[in-house]
Amino acid sequence: MDESKKRDLLAAGIDVDGALARLMGNETLFLRLLQKFLADKNYAKLVNALETGDAEAALAASHTLKGVCGNLSMTALFDLLTRQVAALRAGQWQEAVDMLAQIAPAYERVSGAIRGL
Amino acid sequence: MMDMLSPGEVTASGRLLIIDDDAINRAILDNIFSPYYETEEAEDGREGLDKILARPDAYCAVLLDVIMPEMNGLEVLERLHSRSFPERTPVFLITAEASDETMRRAYDMGVMDVISKPVVPYIVLKRVQSVIELYQARKRLSSTVASQQTELLEQAQKIIRLNQGMIEALSTAIEFRSEESGDHVRRIHDITWHLLTYTPLGDGLDAETVRQIALASIMHDVGKIAIPDAILNKPGKLTAEEYEIMKTHTTQGALLLERIPQLRETGLYSYAADIARHHHERWDGRGYPDGLRGDEITIWAQVVSLADVYDALISKRVYKAAFTRETALEMIRDGACGVFSPRLLEHFFAAEDKLFTLYRH
Repeated sequence: MDESKKRDLLAAGIDVDGALARLMGNETLFLRLLQKFLADKNYAKLVNALETGDAEAALAASHTLKGVCGNLSMTALFDLLTRQVAALRAGQWQEAVDMLAQIAPAYERVSGAIRGL
Repeated sequence: MMDMLSPGEVTASGRLLIIDDDAINRAILDNIFSPYYETEEAEDGREGLDKILARPDAYCAVLLDVIMPEMNGLEVLERLHSRSFPERTPVFLITAEASDETMRRAYDMGVMDVISKPVVPYIVLKRVQSVIELYQARKRLSSTVASQQTELLEQAQKIIRLNQGMIEALSTAIEFRSEESGDHVRRIHDITWHLLTYTPLGDGLDAETVRQIALASIMHDVGKIAIPDAILNKPGKLTAEEYEIMKTHTTQGALLLERIPQLRETGLYSYAADIARHHHERWDGRGYPDGLRGDEITIWAQVVSLADVYDALISKRVYKAAFTRETALEMIRDGACGVFSPRLLEHFFAAEDKLFTLYRH
């Protein structure tokens, strides 16, 4: 991976070195999993659940997405989702919904960076 | 201590099942473990459970996500726990975050370890590997212990058979000297065992005791080794003096057995010595050597005494031809060959049909 691409990913909130360490240095796998992230339906599910007021579905989607982000070291998004999951578990629905305002741009930054690879 | 688990030294040993609904999570775990294990993936709890139930012994470990559609990790674990699966195969919970309550339930249901996501490859690998190694070592050890136990049992049985063989050989050698067939001791053994096992004569005696008594019965005539050939194998009637000597085979037998310390240490001894000494006592008190009367004679000495008479009558001996079965039974009933307890005779006659099958070859 060239340095400029790596910088783009870093700027989008992805700790590239951390992710590569988790993948035992397997860069091909890393790139493949980033593409998989774009195809992952959990973000869409989360947005939909928050709009329709389905708390259970929101928790499931937010939780799964958080796991994926953690594994791919999408640090910024991971931190936001961690807080959202905690809010959903605590029953703080409105707070969880409001957090979408921060989660959406973070998600877009990450997706954009991946698409730009 | 040698570090047996450092990555790179471990060769693939076993199949690992990864149950996680997220493809990225599965790919990450697969990437970590596939150099060391065969990996297999399941996309939700239901699929994972089905795979395990189909082949419960196929996996060396199961990595289980908690929050999944269809069936969540704890539900899968519950099913596995009810089948004692986690006792044989380690199950790891891999979860983004788990409440204390979730962890407590998971450990209660036999989960080996709870590993948090995002995983740290080196740590997750080490933790899983060392537990797999532990389970495999335990399995090897318990199968070694089981096979050693079987071996010991086989050896013990071999020794018992050897003992029995030597007792039979000794007794047969003595019987041969009096020109009797070696089958005699075998039949005394079988008749004694049969009467004490299948008739009320053996009431109160457990199977092991009956086995010992039957084995002891083989030695009833060992005292004959001390009787001179001229008397032992005399074809005609013995003189009164010769008969007195002949009678001493009972006391000589008991004496001989008493001088075998190894025998004295076994449960067999008291039966063998009693039978050797008292198998010529009579119910009416007119037998020898002690003139015991009625139930002063133990039931096993009584049984062997009758078995001995029965076998002598229907077999050919130096001093006589074989009697027919009918004549033999008549002689026993009439007391021509000694006086036996009515109860003993009753059960003997009831069982005689079966006993006689020993003589058909």
